[in-house]
Amino acid sequence: MSHIIEIKNLKKYFGEAKAVDDISFSVEEGDLFAFLGLNGAGKSTTINILVGVLNRDSGECMVNGFSVDDISKILPSIGIVFQSLVLDKKLSVYDNLRYRAMLYGMSKKEFEENLEYFINRLDLKPLLKKQLDKLSGGQKRKVDIVRALLHKPKILILDEPTTGLDPKTRKLVWDMINEFRKNTNLTVLLTTHYMEEASLADNIVIIDSGKIVAEGSPLTLKNKYANDYIKAYKYDKAILEILEKDKIPYKKDKKCLEIKFKNTDEAKNFLVKHSALFKDIEILKGSMDDVFLSVTGKELKENV
Amino acid sequence: MNNQSELRKLSYLTFRNIKLYFKDKMTFLVSLITPIILLVLFVAFLQSTYEDSILSIVAGFNLDQSLVDAFTGGWLFSSVLATSCITVAFCSGMMVIDKINKANIDFLVSPVKKSTLQLSYVLANLFSTLIIAFVLLAVGLIYLACVGFYIDFVDFLLIVFSIIITSLFGTVLANIIWTFTRSQGVVSGVCTLVSALYGFICGAYMPLNTMGEGMQAFVSLLPGTYATVLFRQGFLNGVLDEMGQTLPAEMVDGIASSFDVKMSFFGTDVSTLGLVLVITISTLVLLGIFILINSLRKKAKAKINRLVA
Repeated sequence: MSHIIEIKNLKKYFGEAKAVDDISFSVEEGDLFAFLGLNGAGKSTTINILVGVLNRDSGECMVNGFSVDDISKILPSIGIVFQSLVLDKKLSVYDNLRYRAMLYGMSKKEFEENLEYFINRLDLKPLLKKQLDKLSGGQKRKVDIVRALLHKPKILILDEPTTGLDPKTRKLVWDMINEFRKNTNLTVLLTTHYMEEASLADNIVIIDSGKIVAEGSPLTLKNKYANDYIKAYKYDKAILEILEKDKIPYKKDKKCLEIKFKNTDEAKNFLVKHSALFKDIEILKGSMDDVFLSVTGKELKENV
Repeated sequence: MNNQSELRKLSYLTFRNIKLYFKDKMTFLVSLITPIILLVLFVAFLQSTYEDSILSIVAGFNLDQSLVDAFTGGWLFSSVLATSCITVAFCSGMMVIDKINKANIDFLVSPVKKSTLQLSYVLANLFSTLIIAFVLLAVGLIYLACVGFYIDFVDFLLIVFSIIITSLFGTVLANIIWTFTRSQGVVSGVCTLVSALYGFICGAYMPLNTMGEGMQAFVSLLPGTYATVLFRQGFLNGVLDEMGQTLPAEMVDGIASSFDVKMSFFGTDVSTLGLVLVITISTLVLLGIFILINSLRKKAKAKINRLVA
């Protein structure tokens, strides 16, 4: 697979503030790539540099084989879903989609054909004549994503697309994106601070104060940075003495005993050694929350 | 091929901006405040005041009522158009609304040239103003056809020219201001201020010679005043010619001066060609400033890009 996005030693300072501080990463074609970080970590600055809205201070950015200095060659291959809606509230859904599609040099026939694709898959027909501000939040988001995909981009940038949306709408957004990814070789670059969204990605970069602090697949990151847990629901009380003696961290409540291990091997060895003392257990891999906490020392939830 | 494609993008963007203006009822109504005030003032007292004023000038002569009605009607619609071409231009711009709604970010990341985007705002602004101005002109012509119609073809062309040049003047001036702001407050403030004040300073609410000397000197320095006088000539030349059939030339001249169909610049009469030149040259100068501002901004961005590269 080839790199569709390649960033090398990218820097962007706003006065003393180092918004992006010497970061490098690449995105494989067809991947779902997540850019994870708190607000102000540098995610949106990087995206804005990639699409030519901001100039970089130094470094190289290549998108679809072109440098961002040649932004006019890059933009036709990109679709972006912004955090807030950018559509015209007073216009109909059809007009909104038509006016935006024409900016990509589409003919009317091409537009109608592409629109038909989405009408059939997303049940858009009843919405087309409605004014945008008459739609529900979920319907508006649906139209906004169609806007970003109508010109059939190679790269879809999702800049915190589900922030502020209810769980049902978030699911709808992801169903749409996954449906489109299934049928095309679309590369998705996602910035988010929702762990559950990031854990769907093929690769993740965690950015903190403008610097990359961890990168890899969700599994690699979990193996490297997250703890494993044994949750025991039925167990011999003798296990508590062993935990105290070996100084292994644990939490106990009425329902279960949760024992924390540095990695899977440690958990597995402990279980094999004391298997007779456990009757009903489950082994849990650490979450992306653990990874984030481990590499940044901060909790994402505080910021959301 | 590229130029053709850019032209299509320009036409779609322009059409979108015009549609948005007409769909936004609040913006649409605010931009029509001045002509609405004028119509209310006219019905409430301006018509009878000006009628009395004309009749006092022509005392002793038997002047046909249709001429008086045509004169007051022509004065009203010349005022309505002179103000609307500026106030609508100031209130129908979508550039700042797009900045506030962040739609401009979507345009910035679309493959459309910044100059195309900028031009689409100016064109939409101009066409929205022209659409409203020509609708108002049609209403005015229908009204005058009912009370007394004395506009010949040349005067009609003068009105059309005045609409186009004044709308262009207002559009370019507004867009120069909008280039420097992202604030809805500034837009609303400027729009309200222009809507409220422009009628006074261009002589639309009251004739210039009823103003104090200092004010008269001040307004004679504003290009908009010359546009107002052009509108007056287009609407009232024919009525005055017709009045000349029954009234002495000095009397007709007196009416023309009292009601701003003639204008003097510090004591020197300004001809119709002079009026045309003042408003046209002013518009071209503003256009030059607008192009300069935009090209300087573009160069500044290109320079930053070169420094990075």
